[in-house]
Amino acid sequence: MVEQRVGQKTIRLVRGDITEMEVDAFVFDITEDVKLGSGFGGAIQQRGGVAIQKQLDTIGSCPTGEAVVTEAGLLKASWIIHANGPKFREEDEEAKLASAVRAALARAEEKGVKRLAFPPIGTGLYQVPLDLCTRVMVDTISEHLSDGASLEEVLIVAPDDREYKPFAARIQEGA
Amino acid sequence: MSRPAKTHKVKMMEQQLAKKLTRQVVGSLVGCVHCGMCNDACHYVLAFPDDPKMTPSYKADQLRKLFKANFDWTGKAIPWWVGADKAPLTDDDLEVIKDISFGTCTNCRRCTLSCPMGVDTATLNRIMRGLLSHVGVMPEGVRVVSKDQWELGNQMGVLKEDYVDTLEWMSEELEEDLGHGEAAIPVDKAGAKIMYCINPREVKYDPRTIKEAALIFWAAGESWTMPSEGWDNTNFGLFSGDDGLGGVSARREYDKARQLGVEKIVISECGHGFRSTRCEGVNWAGEQQPVPMESAVMTMLRFIKEGRIKVDPTRNPERVTFHDSCNNARSCGFYEEPRELLKLVTMDFQEMYPNRAENYCCTGGGGAMSMSEYTPRRLESAKVKADQIRATGAKVVVTSCHNCVDGLSDLIKHYGLGCEVKQLVNLVANALVLDEVKEPEAVPAPAEIEVAPVAVASPLAGRKILVVDDEDDVRLFLTTVFEDAGAQVLTASDGDTAVAVAREHQPDLISLDLSMPGKDGVETFVELRRTPETEEIPVCVVTGHPEFRQVIYDRPVAPPEGYLGKPVDEDKLVAYAHHIIEHREAKVH
Ligand code: SF4
Ligand code: SF4
Repeated sequence: MVEQRVGQKTIRLVRGDITEMEVDAFVFDITEDVKLGSGFGGAIQQRGGVAIQKQLDTIGSCPTGEAVVTEAGLLKASWIIHANGPKFREEDEEAKLASAVRAALARAEEKGVKRLAFPPIGTGLYQVPLDLCTRVMVDTISEHLSDGASLEEVLIVAPDDREYKPFAARIQEGA
Repeated sequence: MSRPAKTHKVKMMEQQLAKKLTRQVVGSLVGCVHCGMCNDACHYVLAFPDDPKMTPSYKADQLRKLFKANFDWTGKAIPWWVGADKAPLTDDDLEVIKDISFGTCTNCRRCTLSCPMGVDTATLNRIMRGLLSHVGVMPEGVRVVSKDQWELGNQMGVLKEDYVDTLEWMSEELEEDLGHGEAAIPVDKAGAKIMYCINPREVKYDPRTIKEAALIFWAAGESWTMPSEGWDNTNFGLFSGDDGLGGVSARREYDKARQLGVEKIVISECGHGFRSTRCEGVNWAGEQQPVPMESAVMTMLRFIKEGRIKVDPTRNPERVTFHDSCNNARSCGFYEEPRELLKLVTMDFQEMYPNRAENYCCTGGGGAMSMSEYTPRRLESAKVKADQIRATGAKVVVTSCHNCVDGLSDLIKHYGLGCEVKQLVNLVANALVLDEVKEPEAVPAPAEIEVAPVAVASPLAGRKILVVDDEDDVRLFLTTVFEDAGAQVLTASDGDTAVAVAREHQPDLISLDLSMPGKDGVETFVELRRTPETEEIPVCVVTGHPEFRQVIYDRPVAPPEGYLGKPVDEDKLVAYAHHIIEHREAKVH
């Protein structure tokens, strides 16, 4: 198992479908207009029901680098944390990614989440370079966990080997 | 006049272009002498002969300008001569290039055949698409579909449970047809010889092709399986130019084949699926030892040649012609085997001209079916294809590509050709001769036993169905079919009435026509999905028009639960309706 202990807390790398995880909350990489759209957004709507998009519509928008929370409808998780990461090679992507990860962690703490799952933010359609994503996410999460967080475990859910391998390397580096 | 400053997006595209400049690509970039010999090869030029922007060289020049301005000495020395002074600088420039790259070329590669310099315009256009997608400039349909494929593993956003459910549904139908369960579709069977991969269109809108393939595998006694993941043989990376997506999608399929320990992947009839899985995916994924792969056309042909299945061509007596998918024929050299198979299972085959590698595109290639904004131009560019088909006098156009099925269906309706589109799997399944089942000898019933009347099957008994169609005869036909299957039927002839009736009566299913006057079907569909009282009522779209593609690909709201083309097959309609309603109930519970 690939994991890194940060004091009493853990960062763990797993494979799977993030929308089906048994966690308190998982992170979804949303666009500024807070539309769930296709991909994981489509799975959230189909498996979780229409209530999630309705809550998002009430929230209205989420600027890049920030995060908002909704309930998770019929999904196994209790909350979905919608974080707006950088998209399509936009400027300052490293700072925006770190900010989105920090915002997601902050929203999780506000909800009293103990187990939180992250996807590799933006490395698919949104073209965030894998090496940058791996470094920023692992470092930002471990910094947060070492800083008196009440979160106990953060999972990174890699869909494919393409993400799994670099995340495994980075997590083991800090283990 | 001073030119505007270069935007961040343009700079990112230039950086990305540097990674794409292989020797072959540079050869095509510098090789064009603008002789115009390729012009008449292109279906867009034939449809718009007076528009110089339709010529292959104009389309490729979009990338050339970017290349010359940044990577070639001529761009520094004689920028006005090589177009470097017109390279894109602003985000508005990129929007213009987007419409050229995605909206005026199907990457069919026909122009390449005519070029004395060996310029591969389609490859250059694909690179341009890749640069644009890299910075988020692409048609909405391309974005939606690519995200599905990146995140859910298939380009139509089919969830794993829905895919498995469809396979079970088809297994049940096979059991009903054959009277036994031996032909059930094996899922994730380790050690099977063949792993059969499909196009997600089959799961969503044409599951009978899966059933037919299963029937053929069973009849041949083949050891086969379908994977629960890594099953999508299509690859939107081919269309969007995103090599990352290309590699990840192909790798999922190869890895699953290795995990199951199969000998070979069989790719269902899909041109771009074949090209991307069998040919390009190996490079995108950096495969060292690719799993053996073949098209289902080869598999079916082999079954016949080895005597493992028997076919009777007289069951397919109507005149057929064959449309070569550009990806199969031009890009993979795969065109004799489908003809050989076609001649074994049909009685009257008529070639269309030109054919094989020189065939014209169905105009649905290169992802065009997912870009609804370009539909009118696409259909206009299809005139040459329509003429080709008309000249054959065929009643059935056969093709080995799901994408071509959609492209051809649209153009057949648009040009009123009055023929059907089929795939080889449909024809082989129809021609299949199964061993005769012996009828048990009739035993006369004893006189004292009364025979109870057999209940007429009413698969939709107790269901309420709303039929929405502006044509009286179609409404009447659909109503009769549903009523005969036991359903209570409500009707509406326009969009507003449909929404009102649906709100009030809460039907179990809505059958919706998409082309109606007034509020059209797409608007009605979106309104149904956005109205709280109707948003969860399943919808089966019944249409004869290409508007349908918009709700599938752009997906302004969740896509419809089912789709049927007109003219409607009664059995298919009832089976679909029954399945959609049952599937929804199973989900809710
Ligand atoms: S690839 Fe096909 S559509 Fe594109 S320019 Fe060449 S002939 Fe025309
Ligand atoms: S691509 Fe080839 S055929 Fe077409 S204009 Fe250029 S040199 Fe001539």
